[in-house]
Amino acid sequence: MSMRELVTGGAACAVPGSSSSSSNPLGAFANALIGSSSKTQGVLKEIPNAAAASPHAQFYPHADDPVAALPGSELDRPFLQSNPQGSEFIRGFRTADANGLADAWEEIQRQPHFDRVYEGATPAPPIQPSLDGPPQRVLSSFLHSFVDSSRSGIPLHPTPLPLLGLSQGDKQCIRDRSSIMARHIFADKSEEFINAQVNALLSSLEIENDIHARGPMPGRFRELEDYWNESQGVLKPGAHAADGWVTEFSQNRPHHGDLEAWAHSFEQKHGAGGWASEFEQMDIRSNLALSFLFFPLLSRALSSLYVHEQAQLTSVDQMRGGNIESLAAIQQTRMLAHTLSQNSDPKFQNSKFLQFVSKMSRGELIIDDNQVKPASENWATEYQQQYNGGASWADEFVHDEASRDLVFRGPDHWAIEFGAERLQQESVDDQWVNEFSKLHADDWAEEFGHQVGERALGDSSSDNWANSYDEFLNEQLVAKQRSDASRGVYVFSDMNPYVGHQNPLKEGQELFRKGLLSEAVLALEAEVMKNPENAEGWRLLGITHAENDDDQQAIAAMMRAQEADPTNLEVLLALGVSHTNELEQTAALKYLYGWLRHHPKYGTLAPPELANSLYYADVARLFNEAAQMSPEDADVHIVLGVLYNLSREYDKAIASFKTALKLKPNDYSLWNKLGATQANSVQSADAILAYQQALDLKPNYVRAWANMGISYANQGMYEESIRYYVRALAMNPKADNAWQYLRISLSCVSRNDMVEACDSRNLELLQKEFPL
Amino acid sequence: MANTELKSDNLFEMMKAHLASDAGKELTKKIGLVYQINIAPKKIGFDEVSYIVDLKKGEVTKGKYEGGKPDAIFSFKDDDFMKVATGKMNPQIAFMRGAMKIKGSLSAAQKFTPDIFPKPAKM
Repeated sequence: MSMRELVTGGAACAVPGSSSSSSNPLGAFANALIGSSSKTQGVLKEIPNAAAASPHAQFYPHADDPVAALPGSELDRPFLQSNPQGSEFIRGFRTADANGLADAWEEIQRQPHFDRVYEGATPAPPIQPSLDGPPQRVLSSFLHSFVDSSRSGIPLHPTPLPLLGLSQGDKQCIRDRSSIMARHIFADKSEEFINAQVNALLSSLEIENDIHARGPMPGRFRELEDYWNESQGVLKPGAHAADGWVTEFSQNRPHHGDLEAWAHSFEQKHGAGGWASEFEQMDIRSNLALSFLFFPLLSRALSSLYVHEQAQLTSVDQMRGGNIESLAAIQQTRMLAHTLSQNSDPKFQNSKFLQFVSKMSRGELIIDDNQVKPASENWATEYQQQYNGGASWADEFVHDEASRDLVFRGPDHWAIEFGAERLQQESVDDQWVNEFSKLHADDWAEEFGHQVGERALGDSSSDNWANSYDEFLNEQLVAKQRSDASRGVYVFSDMNPYVGHQNPLKEGQELFRKGLLSEAVLALEAEVMKNPENAEGWRLLGITHAENDDDQQAIAAMMRAQEADPTNLEVLLALGVSHTNELEQTAALKYLYGWLRHHPKYGTLAPPELANSLYYADVARLFNEAAQMSPEDADVHIVLGVLYNLSREYDKAIASFKTALKLKPNDYSLWNKLGATQANSVQSADAILAYQQALDLKPNYVRAWANMGISYANQGMYEESIRYYVRALAMNPKADNAWQYLRISLSCVSRNDMVEACDSRNLELLQKEFPL
Repeated sequence: MANTELKSDNLFEMMKAHLASDAGKELTKKIGLVYQINIAPKKIGFDEVSYIVDLKKGEVTKGKYEGGKPDAIFSFKDDDFMKVATGKMNPQIAFMRGAMKIKGSLSAAQKFTPDIFPKPAKM
């Protein structure tokens, strides 16, 4: 269990029964910070307003400003109205809980956490401080040797150093921080050893050490109280400029530059390329150690409420950036987690849902518009990639830049931003704010907590919720990849073997003809990468995607085709059909009208001024005129059929498609259109016959296979539908709709084992289980 | 032509026919509840159109429920409703995100699953 879990009193700490403390000193510590769990329980009944009773909200006193600016903020709890609780909090420190706090502190000291950070990292660099060179280099390597000495346990000896010219402020900073830090990095050593180490460090740096004068550990509570007093001071009316520790933090810096504060302040003092660059090159262990060294104890305790320890630098920065909303959300989820943990159903206790909520409450997960992302792990990974020897930061960044076209707004955005040293600091902050304003934490925590409290959820329903979370987490993987396509941007495949092919268009046409749709997609992608203005390449790519049952990509490709050739009739019809499928009437109408207007024969029927205010009735009338003009033109009947689909006049649509089929009996896509229309007008049995015709003409027609599945499912024949979906997916595993429908059908026949296979996209298993 | 632009309209129209089919009758047997679904074009609570999905009688009607209280009332944005009805988004997740608001009995809401909606076929 990580220290943060203990400190924050996560799920593991909040098990029913162990209400307050005795078994868990860190829980006591957490409770001292957060408020006792019984208090939290009481608070829960009155969410959202009573949430302010949580004392630690005190530390973010200016939070009300950004919150108030957000939509829905009227639901948010007030941050500033809890002074009584605040004083209770501080009293807790001074009196009753002081012992518990001390115990908790000792417990923290004994946690092997920091040692673990050191283990598993790269082998120790030699502890050989090079003691010549420019002052900042000397200081740097000397501090390294101080940190390194923790691993070996070798006492650090006072070393005569060249004149470093440290200012009084530097000295104070180093002295204060090193005495705190030493207790972390030498957690397994005795007090004497720690003092000796610190003394050696300080005397080497010619810093006067007053540690002994203050007694063995006077710094602990003094630190806490200082922060508290500062934050209290800030709470006074008119003085809500910044939170206490952030102010303190800023004061330690000579300039208010951007974060990595300490490194930067040194950079500013000692010139660029000094210790700051050293700092970036260090491996992650020292980095962490040093960042702890210069961050106040309390800030760590608090920030670890929502960010993993490893994210120290960022967490402080994010706080400073005003991301208080995250804390509001976390506060809500923590309370929810607590309520849920009172549910005695063991299944529920072990559910991923509860784990999920707990993780949310600890800030390990945050919810983006479309995805849950692990807040810290992601970040930590990024961080390690950046700092851990091999993968150079530059490579990482170039790679991120390259993929930015595709992953424009992804969740690792802010991690990348961080890597880019916050060049776009503001946008990142905005993103956070947006994310959390979307969370509506108040809403659901209130409603859900309430219902759970009333035991409105039966036994089975908690399973439902638990299951849905497994589902949810799986969805996110897919959502990430698909979110771009949904915005109309074509998403190219990775690792396309047809790149560099001599004539990918010809290859693509050949593959399409053979019905190898997914292969054809790759070849055609290679073509349009080579010739981005090739309308035919894009058109065929769009058609292929549509037949492969991927409408989003189909629309994206067709839009490019239309850009390249705005009057291509096939493209216009395909766009009309795709938008009809997506139930987007206005867009569909526009393209179908475009078809008429650009048609060499019927263009005269379409008055250009109509294009600005399209009404369905007008367009339908024009197409009927066209159909009367040349009843032998199958295409007109096809467009009419699509139009009638748009207005849900299915009988007319079916008649139009049947007329067209008399003229074009071998058009498999026409058979599919007929089938889809019949299916949508709940004539599923007829639809299946039409789909069968289409599949006889084109056995690899993924869309028709998927439509077959839909027809069976709509008739309640889920078992059959599963076989067809699986068949479609075997031909195109990227057909997302089919995956979603497959999942619904699997749950309808209560095949939870196979739902798992579906979630992990284990086609092999599904095909074995559901052969056609 | 319908005078609104809601995608959900199509689905509810489809559902009217669907509930008359055998599969639809199974649904009424299985669920037997009345839902009111409010669909907003852009933002929940604004310009909402209400549908009653009566899975007792097997009817879909436009407009607010008359004759008592529905078992549960849901509010969605048009897009989000389509996502939930087609299985792109799970109802619980929609609720979590605030994409779906629920009033009424949560146990009735639990039965609100994507399989009560017919799936649109694609041309």
